[in-house]
Amino acid sequence: MNRCPKCGATEIQLRPSVGMLVCLFCRHEWAEKRLDETIANGDLSRLRGTTVGSGATDIAADAGALITMKCGGCGAEVVVNTAEQMGSRCHWCRHVLTVNEQVPNGAVPDAVLPFSTTHAVAVAKIREFAGKRRLFADRTFVREFTPENVVGAYLPYMVVDGNVSADVAGFGEVQTRRYTRGTGNHKTTYYDADVYEVHRRIDFTVDDLTIEASSERAHMNSAVNTNNVINTILPFDTENAVKWNASYLTGFTSEKRDQDVAQMTPVLEHQLLSIARAQVEPSVQQYDRGVRWERERVQVHGTRWVAMYLPVWLYSYYHEKNGTAMVHYIAVNGRTGETMGSVPVSKPRLLAAALTVGTVVEGIVIAMMGAT
Amino acid sequence: MAAALVAHLGTVLAAEGDVPVWLLLLGPAGAVGVYVGLYQYYRNTGKSHSFERETRVTAQPVTGQERKVDEVKGTKKTSIDGANQGDHRERVQRLP
Repeated sequence: MNRCPKCGATEIQLRPSVGMLVCLFCRHEWAEKRLDETIANGDLSRLRGTTVGSGATDIAADAGALITMKCGGCGAEVVVNTAEQMGSRCHWCRHVLTVNEQVPNGAVPDAVLPFSTTHAVAVAKIREFAGKRRLFADRTFVREFTPENVVGAYLPYMVVDGNVSADVAGFGEVQTRRYTRGTGNHKTTYYDADVYEVHRRIDFTVDDLTIEASSERAHMNSAVNTNNVINTILPFDTENAVKWNASYLTGFTSEKRDQDVAQMTPVLEHQLLSIARAQVEPSVQQYDRGVRWERERVQVHGTRWVAMYLPVWLYSYYHEKNGTAMVHYIAVNGRTGETMGSVPVSKPRLLAAALTVGTVVEGIVIAMMGAT
Repeated sequence: MAAALVAHLGTVLAAEGDVPVWLLLLGPAGAVGVYVGLYQYYRNTGKSHSFERETRVTAQPVTGQERKVDEVKGTKKTSIDGANQGDHRERVQRLP
C-alpha cells in the first residue's frame, strides 16, 4: 500500500502541471527521487557487459497479468489486471492499492517519467493537428471527431545506454574528369572516376536510446497499423525519470512490457549500426560520386537497460472501409507536447484535388504549346 | 523512381522534335504529386523517430583507411552504383 508520507492516506495521484504527487486528503505534495540519482551512472565509455535494471529482467514464463493484492486496510483480497492498470480501489474499505513491489510479469518498471502536459493541453494539440487536416479527411472521421476522448497512457520502453565500436567497409568514387560528346540534341555527358576501397571505424557511446518494449507497439507496418506515429513523438527527457511509484499512474492507463532484453537486442544493434553509419558520413565527403557500404560490424562492449514507463496522450480512431480496418492514432508526447498522428483520408476528395491540379497544369502546358 | 521515369520519357519525347512534347507529362506528374503529398500530410506513413540525430551520442574521432583499387572510364552514371552513404538504416552484409 502506497501512503502519503505526511498523513498516511492512500488517495494519491499525479499533478501533471507541477510533476508532483499530491495527497488528495491533506494536499501534501512530493516527488520520488530521479532515477539518475539512485543508480550508479559513471562514464559510459567504461561500460562493460550487460547490466539490466531490476525492472528490466526477463519476464517469467508463468507470470500472468492478473495479480491478487491483500488490502492493508481491511485484509480483503483485490485482483488487479496489470496489463491495463497498476492499482485498484479496495471495494470494501475504499483504500487505494497500488502495485509498488516488483512482480516478474514485466508490469513494474524501474522508473516512470510522469506526465507534465495536462489533458486540456493534449486536447488542444490534437484539435490543432486534426484541424489542419480537415478538408481531405474521411467524412465519418470529421463527424465523429471528439478529442476530449484522448487517454493518457504510460507505454513501456527500454532505455538503453551503450558503449560500442563499429566498422564499415565498402567502395567510394572520386570524379576525375567530366566531358561531353556529340552535338545538338545528341550530347552525352561522360565521367571518369577513381575507385577507392574505404574502411571506417568509430567508437562511441549512446545515452538513453529508447526502444519499444511492447511487441504490439514495436510492430510498425504502415500498411496495417499506425504505430509509427507513436514512435515519431520520441524522444522523451528520460533523464528526468523518477524511481517507480505506482501512484504516478493513478488516473492513467498503462501497457505491460512483454519483450525481454534478448528479444530487443537485434533492434538495438540495428539502431547502433544506423547511428554509426550516420556518424561516419561526414568522413567520406571527399567521395563526390558517393560511397557504397557493403559490410558492417558492431561490437557492443557494454549496455545498461532500464525499463521505463513513458507518458503518451493517445487519441485513437477505429476506421473501417471496404472490409479493411485500421486504428488511427494521434499521439501527444506527455512531456514535450510533440504531436504526430494519422488521419484517415477521403480518397474521392484526394482524387478530385489531384485531377483538378493535373488538369489545370495540363491546360496551361497545352496553351503554352499552342502559343509557340 | 517515378521522377526517373518521367525524366527518361522526357528525353525520348524531346528527341522526336523541337517542340518540348515532354511538357505534356507535367499534368499527370502534378496530379500524382498532389495525391502523394496530401496523403502523406494526412497519414504520415513514412514518419518515425530520428534516433540517429536525436540520441545523445559521444563519439571518438572516426578512423580508417582507403586505397585506390580501380579506375572508371567513360561512364554515363553520375554516381557510384548502389550509393548508400545517406541510407543509414539500410543494412548491408553483417560481419561477425
